Amino acid sequence: MSDPQTPSLMHQRRRAAWLFLLPMLTVLAGVAGWPLFRTVFFSFTDATLATLDGFQGVGLDNYLWLLRDPVWWRAVWNTLLFTVVSVGIETTLGLGIALILNAHLPGRGLLRAAVLIPWAIPTVVSAQMWGWMFHDLYGVVNAILMGLGLIAEPRAWTADPDLALPVVIAVDVWKSTPFMALLILAALQMLPRDLYEAARVDGVHPVKVFFRITLPLIRPALMVAVLFRTLDALRVFDLMYVLTGNSRSTMSMSVYARQYLIDFQDVGYGSAAATLLVLVLAVATVLAVTLGRVRVDAGR
Amino acid sequence: MGLKRMIGRVAFALLVLGIVAWAVFPFAWAIVTSLKAGSALFTVEAWPSQPSLANYTAIFKEQPFGRNILNSLLAASSVVALSLGLAVLAAYALGRVRFRGRGLLLFVVLGVSMFPQVAVLSGLFELVRWLGLYNRIGSLVLSYLIFTLPFTVWVLTTFMRELPKELEEAAMVDGAGPFVIVTRVFLPLMGPALAATGLLAFIAAWNEFLFALTFTLTDDARTVPVAIALMSGASQYELPWGQIMAASVVVTVPLIGLVLLFQRRIVSGLTAGAVKG
Amino acid sequence: MAGVTLRGVRKSFGRIEVIHGVDLDVADGEFVAFVGPSGCGKSTLLRLIAGLEEPSGGDLSIGGQRVNDRPPAARGIAMVFQSYALYPHMTAYDNMAFGLTLSRTDKRTIAERVRAAARLLQIEDLLDRKPRDLSGGQRQRVAIGRAIVREPQVFLFDEPLSNLDAGLRVQMRLEIAKLKADLRATMIYVTHDQVEAMTLADRIVVLNAGRVEQAGTPLELYHRPRNRFVAGFIGSPAMNFLDVVSEGRADGSVRVWLPGGVPLDVAVGGAAPPAGAPLTLGVRPEHVGLADGGAGLVATILAVERLGGETHCHAALEDGQRLLVRLDGDRPVAAGERLRLNLRGETAHLFGPDGRRL
Ligand SMILES: Nc1ncnc2c1ncn2[C@@H]1O[C@H](COP(=O)(O)OP(=O)(O)O)[C@@H](O)[C@H]1O
Ligand SMILES: [Mg+2]
Repeated sequence: MSDPQTPSLMHQRRRAAWLFLLPMLTVLAGVAGWPLFRTVFFSFTDATLATLDGFQGVGLDNYLWLLRDPVWWRAVWNTLLFTVVSVGIETTLGLGIALILNAHLPGRGLLRAAVLIPWAIPTVVSAQMWGWMFHDLYGVVNAILMGLGLIAEPRAWTADPDLALPVVIAVDVWKSTPFMALLILAALQMLPRDLYEAARVDGVHPVKVFFRITLPLIRPALMVAVLFRTLDALRVFDLMYVLTGNSRSTMSMSVYARQYLIDFQDVGYGSAAATLLVLVLAVATVLAVTLGRVRVDAGR
Repeated sequence: MGLKRMIGRVAFALLVLGIVAWAVFPFAWAIVTSLKAGSALFTVEAWPSQPSLANYTAIFKEQPFGRNILNSLLAASSVVALSLGLAVLAAYALGRVRFRGRGLLLFVVLGVSMFPQVAVLSGLFELVRWLGLYNRIGSLVLSYLIFTLPFTVWVLTTFMRELPKELEEAAMVDGAGPFVIVTRVFLPLMGPALAATGLLAFIAAWNEFLFALTFTLTDDARTVPVAIALMSGASQYELPWGQIMAASVVVTVPLIGLVLLFQRRIVSGLTAGAVKG
Repeated sequence: MAGVTLRGVRKSFGRIEVIHGVDLDVADGEFVAFVGPSGCGKSTLLRLIAGLEEPSGGDLSIGGQRVNDRPPAARGIAMVFQSYALYPHMTAYDNMAFGLTLSRTDKRTIAERVRAAARLLQIEDLLDRKPRDLSGGQRQRVAIGRAIVREPQVFLFDEPLSNLDAGLRVQMRLEIAKLKADLRATMIYVTHDQVEAMTLADRIVVLNAGRVEQAGTPLELYHRPRNRFVAGFIGSPAMNFLDVVSEGRADGSVRVWLPGGVPLDVAVGGAAPPAGAPLTLGVRPEHVGLADGGAGLVATILAVERLGGETHCHAALEDGQRLLVRLDGDRPVAAGERLRLNLRGETAHLFGPDGRRL
């Protein structure tokens, strides 16, 4: 039917498509695929930063050490707690702000602009800003709370092992809630307006409208947003590192892995930790996609 | 207007004001702090009694902050330019040509953007060293591609998909091949999409910390976030908070300006594709 | 200039076949319209000719050359799309010149051709405008101009007027008729508007569910529809269909009994159906007359629609079958009245149980 010398239009298009994809795929393979492969590879060796080309295989040793290290388990716990609590709060607050932004009420523009500010500020900068506000001696938080009589003496917010993680979570909530709110707002704005008008005409209570109509309709989009935030929170690094350094009370899996990789130069062991983090993320994604039935798709 | 409605309105206004204050206060406090020089720093007051720009001059004199800004600008703009260039072609292929494996590729691209960055740290370190890029901006451009490239591909693919099919067919009848269609028909129509995507990718690169921290060593090679995180004063134990806040304000003001200017675009770029359940 | 030939052309999307083997010859310089209900495959057939879709089977030639494997630009065709598909970022001039620029035609020739096309379409003043600054009618002219500039052997139009409002549509229809006379090129024109098809086309191809039901001149289709589908599709208002029973053959015609026991002799071409066979009688509303005397078909008027120039009476026969009658505009009739109708064998059609015209 189609003659072999002149490839059909479809073939030509497909060939062009692969040609167009080639540079992107090559770069991705180079900067993501290969390094990931090397990380997994290193995790079975005793490589150090100084001896990246002279190392020996050690089998599963790194993993066995890792599983016996209480600091690692602390990091896992910190990361999971941080993720669950901060994403939970961010989703709830984000939903609230999105609902306010979606209502046609005065002050909406101001609110949207204000809410974009935390999002625009680099994580490092927000960590420093909050670090200064939470400063034990000169921090404005202590000053305000003492002025209000809520605390009797200044607290060492970021140094106190009981307070440090809550502080980190608070800063993350401040920084990431806007992102949630914007994603949820986009979902809300795609809902048909006449649905609400119908409900209003029928005199349904707004709270009921929210739980019976709004929430089920935005659920798919909400789940995607929650998944994205969760994956983001699981790999958190900047916040902890800047606010509390390598402190154990807040250390996340990323901080732990980097500490071994770079500070202790133990590439083998650090790579094992990083590999486990990838596994945790993969499990979270699989759980979300199967249990939460999250559907991610580019458009359509 | 009934009393109940009135109270409701006031409560609502207070709520909105509260949220605005919560969002804005830390940055406002950073500005206030940055204007406090010397020991004024250690008194909590809403506005410095003697506002001073000393911290601002200090970051450019005592610290190589100008250089840091330049590094960040260079790294972020090169990686954005590179990503957009690669992504436009890829997005055409992914968005407009049907071929086997397209769904899988999209999934891989999305997966890479979700990568934990430490997972590639050792491999990238090796690569950076091998390429002789350690402590150079090139190492950052290389590593930032990990998140800017999948992001731009993903977003541009969704934009590309929305362009009318008949436009492409008209161009085909006019004798345009895929490359001409992308460069001369679609690209001119994607200005807004490119701007939004580019801006978001720029912000992500500008804010990046882990790679910049790991692949640079000297003060001169640092980017803005690393400089701000590691800024140290005369004594090792006393952090120069005034300077840190001044530096924070300097890098954040243009960012906030851009974001407010492009509000709508950014929201559409953020939500493109990612959240169409 | 060139003709277009289709031989057994098929097209499947996935496992679903939407074009089931079409044979068609479009002569050089002929204006052919594709009509048919929505989704019947008109656009698909046109896009197959354009090369925007690949046939799943069969052969396609333009000007005697097999073009199955040629890309659209190498087929000597130009296409005008329903949505105009103008390049939004280019001026009208650049839109029209784009194809020639790509084929590296020299600037002078391009300018000459664009200006000539613009003159023909009376859009010389609009050449510097971008599409968004043009009205719908103007955009369509630019789109047609873009096709003319390519100097194609075959023009392909896909419902070019359906995005325009009624008044503009009539005007553009006349202009396309003029263009057809001026250019003398082969044109294939897809439309769902049978008035467009009847007025513009030398020949109409009626499509249904991916098959050609009939191809012929407008009057052929009107007077001698090959089957019930074509009979019902061509003509407005649509043909009436009545269930009748055949009595058998008499002198090249068939006598059927109408409700109320009125006989009618209808001329038929082929073999006559056996007596007692159920048939369908087709009569156009404009061919139903009023009987003078007491004879004729009795009908009760259900509703009257007055269009000014003509009057449409929806009527029910004695056995309840419906019939539309077209009368003069001023005829004094009202719902509830009884009419006596007169059908003539020469203007009636008989269709067998398989829908084919006898
Ligand atoms: N790209 C496609 N993929 C799948 N089905 C298609 C495609 N294009 C058209 N079809 C189907 O083919 C049939 C004919 O479509 P089309 O030629 O557009 O009809 P028309 O133009 O007569 O309204 C329709 O049933 C339509 O759904
Ligand atoms: Mg069509």
